[in-house]
Amino acid sequence: MVKRFYFLILVVAFLWAGSSHGADTAQTMNQTMLPGKSRSVAASSSVQENKVGTGDARTSAADRESPDEEAVDEEEEEGEEEEEGEVSISDPLESFNRAMFQFNDRLYFWVVKPVAQGYSKVVPESGRSSVKNFFSNLGFPKRFVSCLFQADFGSAATELGRFVVNTVWGVGGLLDPAANKELGLQKQDADIGQTLGIYGLGHGFYIVWPVFGPSSLRDTVDIAGEYFQSPFTYADPWYVGPSVRAYEGVNSASLRIGDYEALKEAAIDPYVALRNAYAQYRQNMVKKKEKRETPAPGGAKPSQRIFQ
Amino acid sequence: MKRCFVGLIVLFVFVFPFTAYAGAPSDAINDTANKVIAILKNKSLSAAAKKERLEVIYKRMFDEVELSRFSLGRNWKRLNPSQQQEFVQLFRKILEKAYGDKILEYKDEKVKITGERMISADRAEVQTKVIGSSKEIPVFYRLRLKDGEWKVYDVVIENVSLVQNYRAQFKDILAKNTPSQLIETLRKKVQ
Repeated sequence: MVKRFYFLILVVAFLWAGSSHGADTAQTMNQTMLPGKSRSVAASSSVQENKVGTGDARTSAADRESPDEEAVDEEEEEGEEEEEGEVSISDPLESFNRAMFQFNDRLYFWVVKPVAQGYSKVVPESGRSSVKNFFSNLGFPKRFVSCLFQADFGSAATELGRFVVNTVWGVGGLLDPAANKELGLQKQDADIGQTLGIYGLGHGFYIVWPVFGPSSLRDTVDIAGEYFQSPFTYADPWYVGPSVRAYEGVNSASLRIGDYEALKEAAIDPYVALRNAYAQYRQNMVKKKEKRETPAPGGAKPSQRIFQ
Repeated sequence: MKRCFVGLIVLFVFVFPFTAYAGAPSDAINDTANKVIAILKNKSLSAAAKKERLEVIYKRMFDEVELSRFSLGRNWKRLNPSQQQEFVQLFRKILEKAYGDKILEYKDEKVKITGERMISADRAEVQTKVIGSSKEIPVFYRLRLKDGEWKVYDVVIENVSLVQNYRAQFKDILAKNTPSQLIETLRKKVQ
């Protein structure tokens, strides 16, 4: 069974390598296929993670107590909130960013939301979920390559397995059978900005792009990366790419109508709220991967679920 | 990015997990969950009656003063005692206004407790997952032991800490304004 599965991965890998995506990514992929261990690494690491996630959660979490966190707690005990653990991002372009925030806000309320609402009346949620899965499946090269650059071969193999299973048995990526209980291959959120972060590169500064939304100098690489890895970018005629991207945007917006409204409603200053949420979210994306790479003193393998 | 805030919708929405996770903090979250779900599923209650009951639970579940104190950080001391009191009230109203209606939109989301860890002797984090029809959102609760009861002082949704997010906002506002101006802004917000 394992052999058969492995063979399938190889077949699809070669097919994929022959398709229109860049030759260099295909090469990297073949190189990792050669040692022939990536699959088993994924299996064993996911088993370990499960163990940690359930039984050993408390003991291993205690071992992993980071010193700065304890320092923060002590400060808090004395009633002096320590703000050093605070996640922040520099914002020299604040006036430009606030203007772009306004623009995106209007774009959402005047264009995206009405369209998404109309669309969600026609297409049921299950259909929209499938469309989301389809686009997510196409994002595989970016996640896979990012995992490789992070030397996270377990996650890379998981992604590869997901791509194969979902493309073959998931009707070209519309369904997500890889994530079910039997296979348990969950999507690995990995991107280029995160990878650069793991290599120690900071955000630079905060930047709000029109249409694309919150980003940073570093994470802007992802907007470009997304563009080049999408097969629709190379489609003919030229307007196929932008149209597909607009559709993808409307589809994903239709699945979370109300989220942005809730954020705005709850915020005292929505611009600062979104900026801070972005900084926290991205920092944790980097942090959780870093924790995975440096084992805790007790020798316990950090679970992916447990991060601060 | 907006995804980070998806979970705020279901701030109070938990479902009894299939296997109860051992540990007092998890039990506290679990107990609250049962009560909240019972209220949300009760069709004989009007929306207003539900909200009223949820507010009682909210007060028991959260350590309001702590939540406010952490959200202000160092600036907490810049407020005089009566301002601090009013801030606590206003902060609750803001959260209630923003999330109250969202919670009533409960659509059978399930919540699973996935883990628990001790941050220190009297602090713990209960890790849960809210499982909806098309998405799963990790929601972590940070609790503190106070007078023998575990009370929530922070909620972390998709890795975004609610308290830290508010702290950034209050810090930004208080860098340019006085505490009384901040209170005034909050008063306008809840009107």
